Amino acid sequence: MNAWGWLFMLVSLALVWVTTIWAYCRLLGAPRENSNDQS
Amino acid sequence: MSTEKKPMEWGTRVGVILAVSGSAVGLGNFLRFPGQAASHGGGAFMIPYICALLFLALPIGWAEWAMARHGGTKGFHNGAAILGVCGRGKIARYFGVLAILIPMVVYMYYVYIEAWCLRYAWEYLTGGVQLTGSIGEQVKEAGTFFGHATGTSTNGVLNMSVVFWMIVVALNIALVYRGLKGGIEKFCQFALPAMAFLAVIVLVRVLTLGTPDPTHPGQNVLNGLGYLWNPDFSKLTDFETWLAAAGQIFFSLSVGFGVILNYASYLKKKDDVALSGLTASATNELFEVGFGGLITITAAFVFLGASGIVGTSTFGLGFQTLPVVFHQMGVLGPWIGFSWFFLLFLAAITSSISMLQPVKTFFEEALGITHGKAIALTSLVCGVGSFWVIWFSKNTMALDTMDFWVGTFCIFLLATVQIICFGWVWGTEKGMLELDQGALIKVPRIFMFIMKWVAPVYLLVVLIGFSYSQLPGKLRDIANNPIELWTVVIIVATLLLLVAVLAVGERRWRAAGLDLDGETS
Repeated sequence: MNAWGWLFMLVSLALVWVTTIWAYCRLLGAPRENSNDQS
Repeated sequence: MSTEKKPMEWGTRVGVILAVSGSAVGLGNFLRFPGQAASHGGGAFMIPYICALLFLALPIGWAEWAMARHGGTKGFHNGAAILGVCGRGKIARYFGVLAILIPMVVYMYYVYIEAWCLRYAWEYLTGGVQLTGSIGEQVKEAGTFFGHATGTSTNGVLNMSVVFWMIVVALNIALVYRGLKGGIEKFCQFALPAMAFLAVIVLVRVLTLGTPDPTHPGQNVLNGLGYLWNPDFSKLTDFETWLAAAGQIFFSLSVGFGVILNYASYLKKKDDVALSGLTASATNELFEVGFGGLITITAAFVFLGASGIVGTSTFGLGFQTLPVVFHQMGVLGPWIGFSWFFLLFLAAITSSISMLQPVKTFFEEALGITHGKAIALTSLVCGVGSFWVIWFSKNTMALDTMDFWVGTFCIFLLATVQIICFGWVWGTEKGMLELDQGALIKVPRIFMFIMKWVAPVYLLVVLIGFSYSQLPGKLRDIANNPIELWTVVIIVATLLLLVAVLAVGERRWRAAGLDLDGETS
């Protein structure tokens, strides 16, 4: 794999992992009033 | 409107996101994405792919979440009525029938592929996949096995694959019958983590393959990753690459599919839709890029080299090439094979239940029938269509015809209708206010411009480009092939049935005094 290949792969993987983890953290850390959680 | 006593609702905030993610994560993430990327510029494919994600899929997805919740507060949970509310009238409502037609027809063939996945998982578990001889002979044997196991070698074959089809159909019906909270949400809460677990197992095995054949030192993991990720920038000047990226994003994220319109309509006014839409998209991308982008092509390259991948179709890669790869993995091979196909089965069933639900809801609301009767009617119509796909399965002809006209062309069409309803009829100001209601993140205001101008223009260019490059050939195929012609007749008959049901629904909704043209805000 060449340097460009590494760059595209690592940037793409970083983007999807960081966005997903950030989104779930934000969601789970939000106040419960905004949700219809029942538990 | 529904005759059932208890209204449908989601149990938890994460539950609805996992259900939407489950709908989006399907076979396309693991099989279609790597194939598309490898043949359209490798790493460079990510540039048009991310553009399509930011300027098409994400804004249209947000528009769907917002319109759905708004329609839900008016008492509607079916895509046609919701688009009628946000599109303010009959034209949008009747175009909205596409939001029922698409999941309905896609279900007809998707459930058949789902049955293949379950059958392959079963065969790996019971030692039914036996390949012998040289690699070339194994590839040939895997092809024969595929034809036999799926019934795609000839028309009119009803073999064991039909038994697996019946099991899969029964599972789908049972899950939808149990409702949103007790069926779909509960199942997705188990299936999504299970899929991630299985994907990690297969990924770890693939990335630790090293150089399994010392006589072919070039066939190693790094070169396998390079085969997919090394960019070919010259492909960026090819319009086909941009078209393929947009098509992949639509196919993958379930936007323009009618599913989000139904699922998000059960949210309450104060529930978040902005972060939920983003999270569901991110989850899908994690499975697509993070797992699909590392597993499939890499594994095939390591054992078979570039020549074993070039020109292989999506089904060929998943069901014929990979079994040969698993066979080379020795004693762990059958277990990795089982993990892989069970992962595909879970990915498929979380998508197929999301296709039944909008259709069931449409029949329920338009005809005023009970939950059970609506499921029975949905199963009957989908079952007839699915049986057609199984009967005319040679070279997956009926399947491919439905996939092209409904699973691709109609999706572009519905997405165009939706973004025009959102940006131009309902208005981006109102749409943004709806998105902001209960939002856990603030959607950047630049998206007002993107939703009003960029997404519709981008989509129209894609739609025109796609029609120009694909439609003439496909129309010729219909004229020359009776199976393709009759498959299109079935699609049109299904569309007419849905239009007739909508006409009945319109009368009922008006009589009930519902605001079906969105006249009050």
